Amino acid sequence: MDLAVSSAAPFTVHTDVFDGPLDLLLHLVKREGISLARLQISRIADEYLVYLDRMRSLDLSIAADWLVMAATLIHLKALELLPRPPSILAEDDADPREQLLEQLREYERIKDAAQRLDGLVLVGRDVFTAVGEKPPEGNRPFVSPVDAFGLLDVLYDVLARGSAPEPTFRLAESGPNIGVCCHRVIALLGGIGGAFDLGWMLRTLGSRAERVITFIAVLEMCRLGWLDVLQEQHLGPVSVQQLVETDQIDVDRIMGTEGKPGEQLDLPLGEAAEPRPSSTEAFGGRDAT
Amino acid sequence: MSDDAIPLPPAEVVDPELVAALDALLFASGEPVTVPALAEALGRGNDEVRSGLHALHHRRKEGGIVLERIGGGWQLRTAPRFARPIHALLGTRPQKLSRPALEVLALVAYHQPIAKTEVDRIRGVDSGGVVKSLLDRGLVKTAGRSDDPGRPLLYRTTSAFLELFSLPDLAALPTLAEREGLVRSAPRPGHPDAPRPLPTVLELPLAPRIELVDADDDDG
Repeated sequence: MDLAVSSAAPFTVHTDVFDGPLDLLLHLVKREGISLARLQISRIADEYLVYLDRMRSLDLSIAADWLVMAATLIHLKALELLPRPPSILAEDDADPREQLLEQLREYERIKDAAQRLDGLVLVGRDVFTAVGEKPPEGNRPFVSPVDAFGLLDVLYDVLARGSAPEPTFRLAESGPNIGVCCHRVIALLGGIGGAFDLGWMLRTLGSRAERVITFIAVLEMCRLGWLDVLQEQHLGPVSVQQLVETDQIDVDRIMGTEGKPGEQLDLPLGEAAEPRPSSTEAFGGRDAT
Repeated sequence: MSDDAIPLPPAEVVDPELVAALDALLFASGEPVTVPALAEALGRGNDEVRSGLHALHHRRKEGGIVLERIGGGWQLRTAPRFARPIHALLGTRPQKLSRPALEVLALVAYHQPIAKTEVDRIRGVDSGGVVKSLLDRGLVKTAGRSDDPGRPLLYRTTSAFLELFSLPDLAALPTLAEREGLVRSAPRPGHPDAPRPLPTVLELPLAPRIELVDADDDDG
């Protein structure tokens, strides 16, 4: 971490090494090895400007913060070099030099605090809990239920990109049937816990009508608590997951073949698209909190 | 976390079956669980559960899985000395926080509630990105607004913060002593040497006071 300025390595300064002007300033003060009381601002100011020169060629976006500090240092250097009339000193309550030193002291305390925090026992680094703390990029379970817009995105995306040619030969009368679509989804899921990418699945279907009906079938089965739709991350791909054993799924209920009025396929889209809290709880057991 | 804080209850007051049940509940939960939650699940009294936990803590403390007070509750965790083989087994790398993240967390932890403007001022750089990522990770949360101009949002640490850093509560944060450092104020007559206390800290009964060793005494 010691970034002594050397001509051999002119670009050893990276912005992520010094988090800000105070960080660099503190580093320079410590390298001097003298107390702040005896610190010559003029000396530090010169070194600061040398660093700044090199950094400026690397990353312009940080310049504003650093330039303010440079200006402050030059101001203080000027004050240091010029004799100060006592009258100004007396009335000048907020000594700019002392202000800077105070800021440095405050920053050093925080760096110290940060170091002490880092010295604590850290979950995922030093200790692990029963559920296993793994780095977030590991194969994390789905974390968030999808909202209605996430689902609509999938459908629109599939329909918009559905330029695959419609099948040439079709049996005139039997269009896609929601029962068939349900069975197809369930077969693809392959049992409790099974999952697939909804958008991918819909794109494998030949016709637009089949896609729409399969989409509705998925929504309906979610409404009945058999499936759930999940999204690993915001705006990420939407997955379908089977929540119950396959023998508990009764597609006839959706078909309404029994003729029960309450069981008829009426598609209250708003309700169906709403993720069911109970079903997300059933899945995985441990939601992201 | 230290053993003195957790007394070993006399053996005759501890029900071994209760201790076994607590072990099972804590294992199944994985997260820190409070005494009342355990008591309710087991249909036992808080005091009974507490001495059961104390007994379990002492029974487990030499083993590979230890029981610790974390974030107001109790949690089973692996003993720190096995971190390396566990990472080797799981194929994980030790999760670390970046230096800026640690600085912002330290500021929020020790000065809470604190506005982002104050964080920026003390760090001398904009901390917006860091604060956002800490919010996303659930380590800090917003806690109302300051009365300062612009009414900026105030931030606090969360229980996830306590859990991550293995702290029973905020009072257990490490005490800060000004190091025998190079950055030291000039002894100025008429001025207290110690930097001014942080006003927000004093209003919080839980928050630790930042202790400042008067370094200038050593100069004689």
